[in-house]
Amino acid sequence: MWRWLAEVFAVAGKDLRAEFRTRVALNSLALFALTTLAAVSYTIGPYRIAQEDRPFLLAVLLWIVLFFAALAGLDRSFVKEEESRTAPLLRLAAAPLVVWAGKLLYNLVLISALMALLTPLFCVLMGFEVALPWHFVALLAAGGFALAATTTIVAAIIAQAMTRGALFSVLSLPLLLPLLIFLIQGTTAISTGELEIFRSSLRAVVSMGGMMTVASALLFPTVWND
Amino acid sequence: MSAGISISFSDVAKRYDMRVVFKSVSGEVGPGEVLVLTGPNGSGKSTLLSILCGLVRPTRGEVRHRCGDDEIPRRAWGRHLGVVAPSMAVYDELTAVENLRFFARVRGLSTDTADCDELLSRVGLDPNRKTPVRGFSTGMAQRLKIAQALLHEPEVIFLDEPGSNLDPSGQDWLEAQVEALAADGRTIVLATNDRREMEWGGRRVALVG
Repeated sequence: MWRWLAEVFAVAGKDLRAEFRTRVALNSLALFALTTLAAVSYTIGPYRIAQEDRPFLLAVLLWIVLFFAALAGLDRSFVKEEESRTAPLLRLAAAPLVVWAGKLLYNLVLISALMALLTPLFCVLMGFEVALPWHFVALLAAGGFALAATTTIVAAIIAQAMTRGALFSVLSLPLLLPLLIFLIQGTTAISTGELEIFRSSLRAVVSMGGMMTVASALLFPTVWND
Repeated sequence: MSAGISISFSDVAKRYDMRVVFKSVSGEVGPGEVLVLTGPNGSGKSTLLSILCGLVRPTRGEVRHRCGDDEIPRRAWGRHLGVVAPSMAVYDELTAVENLRFFARVRGLSTDTADCDELLSRVGLDPNRKTPVRGFSTGMAQRLKIAQALLHEPEVIFLDEPGSNLDPSGQDWLEAQVEALAADGRTIVLATNDRREMEWGGRRVALVG
């Protein structure tokens, strides 16, 4: 088990080291997130939405910004391996599940960094009130994990395709849409303080993340080797 | 090292959609032998090498990897082989030592820096060089790829145009390495068009383009 974990950390560590040296995915994520946030806060701002609509509409805006920023950068993990012709040696050297878990961990770190940067800024610039702060952190963590699990397997699939362009978004959206709905519902409940709705939303998000993780782990060896 | 690994392939064919790469190729190679795959450009030498590595599935035919009388399962095959090929690169954002340490880690080997330094010195690279691989010349990158292939002391070594980009002294060194590895009981498969490299092998499979 420890050896397996060491191999997973080696894959994630290699990707993070390479990313910090080139900053391709980081720049894509940050640029998209900050540009969108700046545009939204400039055009809508904290006071142009009616008080009763604020919890729901701000939750929608927050997750839209997070989702599309994630889609802008998280496909790089596998596409880069194929484009730079490093994938064959990785296929021969590492077990498929090690590669999958390493890439998932790498995507998780990127999405956590994105959330840590964007969420406080969003709350300040848009005046988003959080009635249940620790519940909000739990929902962000569960949502981030589900998002990373889904984008990791979709990125592995599209890396094998000849025309990758918009394929990542096209394949990700149907898988992520139900998740997005529950995350918005949960975030709205966090703003209004409705604990029961928050709990049911969190359960749904955790279930979806778990489902995607199991399905990805089962599917990945076939996607990676064939 | 184990008893040594033999590879046999029979009636292997590969086709991509309507394009036939090769129709029917057979051959075998055992421990201590060098099998040379040769043929004109586009005849499918690299494709056959990838099939023998287990990275590409043949359209038809059978490839068997054996250790003594035991068949090696596909999932364990990667552990036994090292590959140097133009279609396979190392990580150019990492330094040479970082590359070797990464491949050692994912293979579950010791990541002792001294081992990596020793291997780099053996292939003629400076272990103290801190620049990422993207700053290397093509010859230096080729030497690093050779080091990566030898890192886990594999029983089978696949070499695709291994001498390309190497200077004359590098080619001499490589020839001596191949001889030493074969003498040590390793199985070597070499795809090349280079007349000098062709002389390294006892067995040959000629592909007709």
